[in-house]
Amino acid sequence: MTNLSSLPFAVPNSGLPGVAWPAVPDDAASRMLALQLQLDQSQWWPAAMIEKRQFEQLHGVLAHAQRNVPFHGPRLAAAGFDPRVPLDRDLWSRIPVMTRREVQLNRDALASRSIPPEHGAVREITTSGSTGRAITVLATEVHAIIWQAITLREHLWHRRDLAAKLAVIRSRSGGTAEYPAGRIEPGWGPSTDVAYRTGECAILNTSCTTAEQAEWLARQDPDYLLTTATRARELARLFRRSGQVLRRLREVRTYGEALADDLREQCRDTWGVPVVDMYSAEEIGYIALQCPEREHYHVQSENVLVEFLDDLGRPCRAGEIGRVVISSLHNFATPLIRYEIGDYAEVGAVCPCGRGLPVLKRIMGRVRNMLRMPDGNTRWPNFMLAKTRSDLPVAQIQIVQTALDTLELRVLPEQPLSSQERGRLLDYVRDWAGPQFKVQLRIVDAIPRGAGGKFEEFLSELPQ
Amino acid sequence: MDNTTAARWQVRGRPRGKQRQALHSLPRFERWPLCVSDTLDPNALPYAVPKSALPGVRWPAVPDAAASRMLALQFQLQQSQWWPPEVIEKRQFEQLRHVLAHALRTVPFYRERLAQAGFDSRVPLQRELWARIPLATRKQLQLHRQELRSSAIPPEHGNVTEISTSGSTGTPLTIWATATYALIWQAITLREHFWHRRDFDAKLAVIRTQPSGGAQYPQGVLAPGWGPSTDVAYATGPTPTLNPTCGTLEQAEWLVRQNPDYLLIGATRALELARHFCRTGLKLARLREVRTLGEVIADDLREQCREAWGTRVVDMYSAREIGYLALQCPRHEHYHVQSENALMEILDEQGRPCREGEIGRVVVSTLHNFATPLIRYEIGDYAEVGEACPCGRGLPVITRILGRVRNMMTMPDGTRRWPNFMLDKAHSDLPPAQMQIVQTALDTLELRAAPARPLVAHEHTRMLEYLRDWAGPQFKVGVRIVDAIPRNAGGKFEEFMSLIKDGE
Repeated sequence: MTNLSSLPFAVPNSGLPGVAWPAVPDDAASRMLALQLQLDQSQWWPAAMIEKRQFEQLHGVLAHAQRNVPFHGPRLAAAGFDPRVPLDRDLWSRIPVMTRREVQLNRDALASRSIPPEHGAVREITTSGSTGRAITVLATEVHAIIWQAITLREHLWHRRDLAAKLAVIRSRSGGTAEYPAGRIEPGWGPSTDVAYRTGECAILNTSCTTAEQAEWLARQDPDYLLTTATRARELARLFRRSGQVLRRLREVRTYGEALADDLREQCRDTWGVPVVDMYSAEEIGYIALQCPEREHYHVQSENVLVEFLDDLGRPCRAGEIGRVVISSLHNFATPLIRYEIGDYAEVGAVCPCGRGLPVLKRIMGRVRNMLRMPDGNTRWPNFMLAKTRSDLPVAQIQIVQTALDTLELRVLPEQPLSSQERGRLLDYVRDWAGPQFKVQLRIVDAIPRGAGGKFEEFLSELPQ
Repeated sequence: MDNTTAARWQVRGRPRGKQRQALHSLPRFERWPLCVSDTLDPNALPYAVPKSALPGVRWPAVPDAAASRMLALQFQLQQSQWWPPEVIEKRQFEQLRHVLAHALRTVPFYRERLAQAGFDSRVPLQRELWARIPLATRKQLQLHRQELRSSAIPPEHGNVTEISTSGSTGTPLTIWATATYALIWQAITLREHFWHRRDFDAKLAVIRTQPSGGAQYPQGVLAPGWGPSTDVAYATGPTPTLNPTCGTLEQAEWLVRQNPDYLLIGATRALELARHFCRTGLKLARLREVRTLGEVIADDLREQCREAWGTRVVDMYSAREIGYLALQCPRHEHYHVQSENALMEILDEQGRPCREGEIGRVVVSTLHNFATPLIRYEIGDYAEVGEACPCGRGLPVITRILGRVRNMMTMPDGTRRWPNFMLDKAHSDLPPAQMQIVQTALDTLELRAAPARPLVAHEHTRMLEYLRDWAGPQFKVGVRIVDAIPRNAGGKFEEFMSLIKDGE
């Protein structure tokens, strides 16, 4: 039996009395659905057509930046950008990459002196980032509209039931949505509600303990859960141990952190549901969404041009890991052009689903989550900490590189560890790290999250 | 399309195992019509980008309000075409319940009919109740014009205009229609372009009767775009239009001069032109497609167009009082009912729904015209029901549109059938002629011919033999040479016409 409230069967709200289907939506809803039609088409375009459209759009961004943004003017001129000539790959690759640090230092020089008024109200976005150094950009309403359009696309991709109940556990400022009540909203939020009727949305601030979060969740009994990857894993673990169930849960939606190797398995084992992850950044919007048919990601090419560059600045090929460099297509307030966001990701091969949107296989995290080998090489730690934890009474583990040849295993135990358990933990890490590292074990009371509220399994304290 | 590309598309397009069911509901580009070469023409659908209302934002476009509304409808049509038939029907009945509630309240003609059928606006509409609503004939619509107009048209539905359609019999039918009706009409016009992946940069030539009398030969008239349905959201190529008050020769000359990419024209005129081009060896170098509307397409039209221009024919089935009834499938020659615009029933003589392969009366209900709601309106055409389409669309299929009752032949025993003659077979050894068969009495058929030159005696005999062979021994036959065969009051050419009294 087809569920008529689930996408793509759900019908938008109509603005006309007596006309239910096809709906004739109001202006705001129409704009959202007009974008949705375009996204629906462009996802299937061949990669070459997508890139062509991106460069056409970026041409407008560059012309605007050269004229109005002091930071970009000389850089673009030096690269040879001429607004009268179509943009091509060669010229593009001559534009210097801008680092997060440069964005921090050049906040004013990055702001446009003349934002087209048609782009709507401008607001300030501050993102703390995992390093704790805040960056601030200005963003127009267009930036917000595209953000919302891709939020709705994500629901379409995963064919959500819009009548279902969504629970959100996220960090919120100002003491709102506090445990035990949390907060109940009548709909999922503006991206959906502008065009569709949606179910209830229960929100909880993460200021409470995992046990309290679990209790709240059980009480809410949602169909979908939206939270960060680490929290989802902690919750799954807690539910499994307590034997509590979430009867109606259909899907865990995660954002904001690199997915731990075992999160999908944990959620399947505990709740019998899949994980759907998204990759976004406040200053950029959506970067990639999980493919509806696979566990990898599709770059949101209608919002950003994403490049994956190796250490020499050359584009990575499928299977290679590179720096994520992003250009946003529509923010004329603080245009970000070849912005090195600080993450590393693995490039994927063309997706069998048929979408022409580039594939991102894995998001690895930041430079500070990279292991430096004593010989100077770097690599992405790929340890199965989860396996280690599963048979030991351990709540959280973090490995910290404290010196070029030293790894510290920080453990937050659930109960005092026996010497045999300590030994097993050390063995795991020694096996994984190899003989060139000294490994130390430290029992801690808490493992602090990064400034962005993100949990890091591996952290390097070496100067970057 | 080279072989590799073709193979790639085919692999993508084929429903595989478990995915088969999901295909019904997943709107996917790879299942789009791929009959056109995959040239990645950036102005061809689905690559064309709408016009953006914001400076500096080209893609994705942020269109203005009117364009957004059109594209929002397109987005819905894009989804609903893949819905399973039962979902489509459910949505139709939900919508029709609004129409019926409105009609019961504000349209005198329906008050009694709906009440007697047991319609209650508080209860979801069901098939059983629906089938109890009496059919409305064209004649009734003509007689009850005023009682069919709603006394309270929702102002939100926009301006109300009067639509008059002469029809084949010459008795005009007048209804009122809202701007919402026009909007859905336009949305389906645009859908038709999407289905057939038109290139918006291309030149569209139109040969159609102009009520205003303008667009006369030799100039015709040139419009900068294809019309409001496309131009509201996209930039389109030029559209030269010619009023076909001139002869085929002039139309052909004008066409050659225009050298269009697409030609929009009535089916009979297309056939006449195609024959003319074949005979004269004239070419239309750029022509990619002939789009026909308004007439039953002759058996050999597709073949003739392929021969004359190397193009395919894309036909549409519409009526002024209804809007689009059916569009040709992007991948096949049959039609998909436009269920988002109207509920179409095809009923047998007893009023029962026809099954696949059966021919029945076309009965239509409009979903959105709150000015003159048409509920179970017997439009007068006959059509053949098709089976579910392998393209995956859930929209019902009709294989053929057969025309009107007066285009049906009555056999001497009283039974009726659809004449299926190959008039142009007679052309091969005869001079070109416009021909029509008229049933003048229960046992008499007359072939009216307007040949390009006078016939010699043996040609006259030959023609008579053709007719006798085709009609069989139960008919008396005759041939009559005429100067011209007039079109009917609606401007349509009829290959077969019955003058028997109960034929209409």
